Amino acid sequence: MTPVLEVPDCGLTEAEREKRNGLKARKPYIAEKLARISAMEERGEISPIIRIEKSYLCNFQCTHCSAEYYMDRHMKKVLKVVDARRKIDLEDIRNLSHQADEMGLARFVITGGEPLVMKDFDDVVAAIDPEKHYVITDTNGWFLDDKRAKHLKAVGVEKVQLSLDSFIERDHDAFRNKPGSYKRVMRAIDATLNAGLNLLLSTVLLKGRVKTQEFRDICKFATDKGISLYVSYAKPTGSCTDHPEFVIDKEDADILRELEKHYNVFSHMTPSYGSFKGCITVKGIVTVTSTFEVTPCPYIDFSLGNLRETSLKEILARGMRNPWLGPHRPDCLIGEDSKFIKIHMEKTRGANHLPIPWGQGFSDTDSLTA
Amino acid sequence: MANNETRLPESRHAANGQDLFDHYGRLIPPKLTSAVHLNIRRRFVCVQPTIEYAAIHRRIARHLGCDDTLSVTEFECRAEGILDTLRSDAATRGIVNGVGVPFFLPKSATTDIGLAIENTYLKAVRNAFLELFPDYAFVNYHARSLEGKLQVAPGSRHERLLERMGKSPVVGYYFPCLLEYSVPAALEQMQSLPDSLILAGGFDTCATFIACPDLLLRTDEYPPLLWLAGLSGERESIGYHFEAYGYNLTFNRRAHFGQAAEYWACGLVALG
Repeated sequence: MTPVLEVPDCGLTEAEREKRNGLKARKPYIAEKLARISAMEERGEISPIIRIEKSYLCNFQCTHCSAEYYMDRHMKKVLKVVDARRKIDLEDIRNLSHQADEMGLARFVITGGEPLVMKDFDDVVAAIDPEKHYVITDTNGWFLDDKRAKHLKAVGVEKVQLSLDSFIERDHDAFRNKPGSYKRVMRAIDATLNAGLNLLLSTVLLKGRVKTQEFRDICKFATDKGISLYVSYAKPTGSCTDHPEFVIDKEDADILRELEKHYNVFSHMTPSYGSFKGCITVKGIVTVTSTFEVTPCPYIDFSLGNLRETSLKEILARGMRNPWLGPHRPDCLIGEDSKFIKIHMEKTRGANHLPIPWGQGFSDTDSLTA
Repeated sequence: MANNETRLPESRHAANGQDLFDHYGRLIPPKLTSAVHLNIRRRFVCVQPTIEYAAIHRRIARHLGCDDTLSVTEFECRAEGILDTLRSDAATRGIVNGVGVPFFLPKSATTDIGLAIENTYLKAVRNAFLELFPDYAFVNYHARSLEGKLQVAPGSRHERLLERMGKSPVVGYYFPCLLEYSVPAALEQMQSLPDSLILAGGFDTCATFIACPDLLLRTDEYPPLLWLAGLSGERESIGYHFEAYGYNLTFNRRAHFGQAAEYWACGLVALG
């Protein structure tokens, strides 16, 4: 699953302005919080999107999945272990929602796994509270037809982030290991738009893909359709640990930056409406795992703390004072910094349970030069 | 945010005759109370651009509209003289180990630094960059006017540049050698630097980018962000800077909160 970018509020397109005005009319409390993000950043405060991984159940088994090693099926079949750690429940999510709201945070992403296979999906949305937080769901699109899309809108979801990993049908289906999945994505695009949901198409960038005609085609498709295409760099974590050849280099990242001039395409590193974060770890995103651990991005399997033991505020402060995560940097930490990638691979190798707890992966004694 | 590895090493002062700069031309952090990274892994560094005095002279003369300011020969002679002076001083000889860019500025009396940067210098940077890289872009992300926004930062010695500019054309050499110094640390360390060095601000940094528009253009690795630390913005925590975005060059403003970052650097300038 992939993270979404925040959208600060200057240099807006007409379509974006219309969406924001609509949100302001329907959910003024959320709109006001979102409007305060730029001022928060100017004061040195952060406003990360919170991704919640309540369940890792998934009907797909993708070649590049960052969550595979968190899944019960992996622990059972590959590691032969059982995860006995306590899992989050709806009360935990309500508590998190409350803490986030008190800090002025405004956005939650339900992810996984595949969120739309969760039987308690609607309850999770309610626990987040869609009147207080902008709720986004990730999905592979398999179950997203017109009826489901309208239902998502009805329960308070504002945006869908839909994965499409190739504009060539057979390649997408092969990458996703799911015949028919491309057609389901195309159906889901229309269903999402028809239901009046905001839509973000996301795609994983493997090394060299940015130079292909296929990639140009998917950029053009999204642009012509009026959809934003979010590009997630392949990172050497999860299932991709076995595919280091997927990891992009700076040339790939720079070509993507050039394509941003011509297409409605962006990555997590893209300056967005006046917000120039660079790497968004902690500053722009955090992930809450099914065991209530908080990681600084979807692809870094080191915890900053467990929300049962430590407040969200302190966990975010730990992240911001960490030399890898807090300072402004233009490159993707887990996708481009070979030193950090090596540390991450060494510490996660052989781990039965992810993420690595606070103090064993990240700690307050971390150094860039040690 | 993290002010990691901020320590107080032994003071290294010019008076003790030691080289103040390391093997790569970075100023070895003196004893400071502000945030600076003592040890660095050199992840974000500039690469020395090609120095061709005639080409640099042509670019600055054309884009700043100062054709008759000084000849190429005089420019080169004065710029090389700066390097000779720095090399001859035990305290500063190491600065030439690092990246350096010669520039000149026309005689000019400035009443509003921000306005001059906005109306003259950033436009010249853009034109010089696009002339060399027509397929890429220079973007000034700071949408609001800079009028009245920028002052000489106290302690930066940057007023010397402006005073010299008021009297005659100025030749200088820019060194992005304050890698991983916070803006306050860049200012603080000026107290212990030889008199020949000033903290880079707006006109000199812009002239550097006109001279060598490719200073931050790297295809293999990432260059640093360069603060205009010799200038203070409208608030203490705010600074202005140049930064690469892929193959493109940008100018922007952001909050720094006095912190050090691996990606951030400031520049020193020597005048000749």
